[in-house]
Amino acid sequence: MTTINAESEALAVSWVGRPIKRKEDLRLIRGRGQYLADIKLPGMVHAFFVRSKHAHARLKSVDVSRALSVPGVVAAYSGADLLKLGMRELLIPELVNELPGTLRLPPSWPLAVDKVVFHGEPIAVILAETKYVLEDAAELVVIDYEPLPVITSVEQAMADDSPRVYESWPDNVIYREKMGGDATDAFAKADIIITERFEVPRTGASPMECRGVLTQWDDHSGLTHWTTTQRPHLLRQAISQVLDWPEQMVRVIAPKDQGGSFGTKAPHSREDFILALVARDIMRPVRWVESREESFRAGVGQERAQIHEIQIAARSDGKILALRDRCITDIGHGQQPVFMGVMYPRAGCFMITSFYDIPQAEIEIVCVVTNKPCLTPSRAFGSFPVRLAMDGAINRLARELDLDPLEVVRKNLVTVFPYVTATGNFLDSGDFVGGFDKLVETIDVASVRELQAKLREQGRFIGLGFGGETERSGVSSKAYVPRQRKPGYGVATVKVLNSGKIHVLVGDPPSGQSHETVISQVLADEFGVTPDDVRLDYGDTLSTPYGMGNVGNRMASYTVSAAVLAARELKKKIGLVAAHDLGIDASPDEFTFENGEIVWVKDREIRTQLRAVAVHLIECPIQLPQGTEPGLEHTAYFEPQNVPNMTGASFHCAVVEVMPETGVIKILRYVVVDDCGTPINPLVVEGQVQGGVVMGIGNTVFEEYVYNERGELQNTTLEGYMMPCAADVPHVETYDHSVPTPNNPLGTKGKGEGAPAPVSGALVNAVEDALRPFGVSITTLPLKPERVRAAIAAVVSPEAEAEPADWVEPIVREFAGEGEGYDVLAEMYRFYDGIQISLQPTWHPYVGQIRGWLRDFGQMLDRAAASPAVVDVLAQMFNGEREFAFQSDLDPGLAAQWDRLRNLPRPDGGHAYLDYILPALDSHEMLLVACSNVPFEGETK
Amino acid sequence: MEKTISVTVNGRVQRKTVPIRMLLVDFLRDELGLTGTHVGCTYEGRCGACTVVLDGNATKSCMVLAVQADGHRVVTVEGLEEFANAPGELHPIQNGFWERHGLQCGYCTPGMMMTIFDILATNVREGSPELTDEAIRQSLVGNICRCTGYSHIVEAVQSAAAQLRGMDPEERAAWFDTAKLEGTRS
Ligand code: FES
Ligand code: FES
Repeated sequence: MTTINAESEALAVSWVGRPIKRKEDLRLIRGRGQYLADIKLPGMVHAFFVRSKHAHARLKSVDVSRALSVPGVVAAYSGADLLKLGMRELLIPELVNELPGTLRLPPSWPLAVDKVVFHGEPIAVILAETKYVLEDAAELVVIDYEPLPVITSVEQAMADDSPRVYESWPDNVIYREKMGGDATDAFAKADIIITERFEVPRTGASPMECRGVLTQWDDHSGLTHWTTTQRPHLLRQAISQVLDWPEQMVRVIAPKDQGGSFGTKAPHSREDFILALVARDIMRPVRWVESREESFRAGVGQERAQIHEIQIAARSDGKILALRDRCITDIGHGQQPVFMGVMYPRAGCFMITSFYDIPQAEIEIVCVVTNKPCLTPSRAFGSFPVRLAMDGAINRLARELDLDPLEVVRKNLVTVFPYVTATGNFLDSGDFVGGFDKLVETIDVASVRELQAKLREQGRFIGLGFGGETERSGVSSKAYVPRQRKPGYGVATVKVLNSGKIHVLVGDPPSGQSHETVISQVLADEFGVTPDDVRLDYGDTLSTPYGMGNVGNRMASYTVSAAVLAARELKKKIGLVAAHDLGIDASPDEFTFENGEIVWVKDREIRTQLRAVAVHLIECPIQLPQGTEPGLEHTAYFEPQNVPNMTGASFHCAVVEVMPETGVIKILRYVVVDDCGTPINPLVVEGQVQGGVVMGIGNTVFEEYVYNERGELQNTTLEGYMMPCAADVPHVETYDHSVPTPNNPLGTKGKGEGAPAPVSGALVNAVEDALRPFGVSITTLPLKPERVRAAIAAVVSPEAEAEPADWVEPIVREFAGEGEGYDVLAEMYRFYDGIQISLQPTWHPYVGQIRGWLRDFGQMLDRAAASPAVVDVLAQMFNGEREFAFQSDLDPGLAAQWDRLRNLPRPDGGHAYLDYILPALDSHEMLLVACSNVPFEGETK
Repeated sequence: MEKTISVTVNGRVQRKTVPIRMLLVDFLRDELGLTGTHVGCTYEGRCGACTVVLDGNATKSCMVLAVQADGHRVVTVEGLEEFANAPGELHPIQNGFWERHGLQCGYCTPGMMMTIFDILATNVREGSPELTDEAIRQSLVGNICRCTGYSHIVEAVQSAAAQLRGMDPEERAAWFDTAKLEGTRS
């Protein structure tokens, strides 16, 4: 066995708190992970879903018979076929939360029966021997649609005369709730009232691995169902309840490795139920591996969308007295068990005051259905847009009062613990002022302000913005049971093996959060062994204790605590037997566990091996102390005793530069100070924070799921969605200001869920601060250059917003639309034929790659077209009026190619500038080099 | 339509009859069982999770047909440790990722490492000059990671580059010498 660290040989050290290398890595860096798509079973068939091409339509008929004629196709099913197999609706009472507001239930067939309500809804499923024939067969499924009016926005959905997504409903409102109390008094007393409307579009957390299922039925085991999930135990229950199969005949297994989840794998997917039914029907294993496009069209990882009409009432010194908020959310179709799209705005609003001491809050939540996919959970669960509303409004307050925003923030921080917020959120522990001060000190605000003043004189604009949050480290049963009838406890089974090694079983499967390492560090300390001596298994309902899921920061706080409690229970038994075996009169707690030995604290010479005691208890259970049962395993449950939840916190500060001419934002520095209680592995914590922040930067600056008026997702590719790559984001600096919670054994709090949330506020506030001389207000995301420019134009000189050059628009349209013309492809092919491709010099491009480049191109042009300055430069470039210096590391072949193209005569009509622009696609650098001639930095005036 | 092809994968000649429309990534995963190469964007050429080294160049294996690889040499993530001198020894790139926590879920990691193989091979050929973090970030634009936020990946590359810099030139070059790999697998 490979040792984790050289230090693992070291004696009697504490493993908790050390940045050791991860245990899970060795298999992953060798390409030996076991993700869902890596698992195969003999006789397995592949599944493909035929999905709706309309966002709202009645299904007049679905005919799968012709698909069956394709060689290799094994079976094909429509919704009607599945009804015969016992398909039932998903929103059975057990899978609907009990909420304080008024909730309506939509119909919820896993496979569409008579109607579709979103583009991409599954209508038929085809099974075949190889995946390559599936798409051929899918073409042959005949679906007769009767299109219905499509609703795609809150405004449409709430209009008096709006058509309805569900005809039997009186309107499109699925949920309404009033939260908090009455703030009338406080508002009457206020010196100042800030009113603002923030609108955050759909973005979220799509992980790199899409979803997938591998499922089979046999009459002995019942259903064995591998699926990408964060909640295997709850899914097992759900499958049993929805399909009415005995629970003991359903086994759900989360693969050992999952390529990220971030909440997107927490819901019970309709595909799980469909595939279980068809696998039982054909009695062969069925595997479905979701494609990226399917994933995007199904809405996986689409959340964030919320509108906030927020008001804060304050004194003239900046002390906030109360807030009012009306949160309106387009949740999509809403046919999703448990979460139903309404839980995210609820959870976000519940946390809205975060670490601010705001005595009164009056909140209204309205959720409407539309013909879009249902929102799915995404890391930060509802908080991302809420943080923009809250931290953005506080920034406005400071501006109106002409106070330093940081001062206003500090003035309003909660200082006494425990604290219950105006919405009822419980903050158990923390040091918000200390954490905040550490942030301010780290960022060195004074020198940023100095630089800001100096640069402004040169016509450059930098700014600093604050955002932050508290997050719950798991949620206790007290909170979960009334809503979801689900427990909040952490649970772990710990076994000491005969060899003295430790085996831990937990129900909740990780997907990158380092559970194996973290649990091993903790139990190594408990048992005086090394992390290598500890093994963790998880996620199989057959062998692990029932757990409510790997969600919401539960691992480090709840699960780890349960494992510690189980270990301590076993240690009592071990102590008892050790005293007996050593023939000493010692109580069980008089032993320490060190290096595989059990040492009597009163006389360290007296010691025995952990292994020896284990063998005595498990393998040779004779002559045990009176009343001692054999065996050395224990399952423990953890709930914090006196509090409903434990609280983590983080404080973010961004320093940005904004180029007003182009609207481009550059993040100069991003600093986070975090309270995650006792950090178990600081390297892991740092990774969680950095990854979460970068996801938040993506959501704030680049990403948006764009739907057209037909309810079709316009960007169904990773390229089109623009998740940030390494060059798009800064290094995120992380600092620790941890306050261990008194409410669990090690003082640990979770870290991982919330990190993206404060980014929205921090960046928007920084951009506004940078543009303070213009008095710009940003109220919506993403912070794309055109939006920033438009915001400036709106306050400076509305007429100054130049139209893009007239040749750009037709090209953008050509590329942004779905039907790229064949002639364009041909054009590209002609060019690419003779050109070396930077990463693959000897390889001719495949047509998919060209499609990818077309998208790239569309986007680059989109971006370029949005900026008059860039358009101008491009125009000069095309006309040969501007010289371009190439970076020395640019491929000389490309430079020559560029020269040749620049000297080509300018073509007329059609795809006018393709000849010039397309070769630039050969290398992203090429266009970037071109664009970088725009006076972006330093020379903007 | 099918075609019989012969591709040298991680030093071993693989002869198979495959449909001509099969992608190289599927050939590696489904025909050879080399599931370390992943699919993240489903053949769009954006995510880079499927990156392998083809004739010495980092290449997205979803952008290449298996038949196009006929007669060529492919190194996948599973091949990295084949460059080592002793069993159990890891490639400096693997060490870098492990040391610096360059992965969380690990899904993007094989593709990242194969892109970095190309970057560092070039760096070593040029005498291992220092790499700036900025240059590393620029060279990773073809690979998306949703977990790490990239800082630890950049540190992983720096760590691998530093390990290599500490070796003598032949030893360094050997970590990228695909011919050597074939020598070990006649
Ligand atoms: S699967 Fe090949 S680049 Fe994404
Ligand atoms: S480690 Fe998960 S995508 Fe990179």
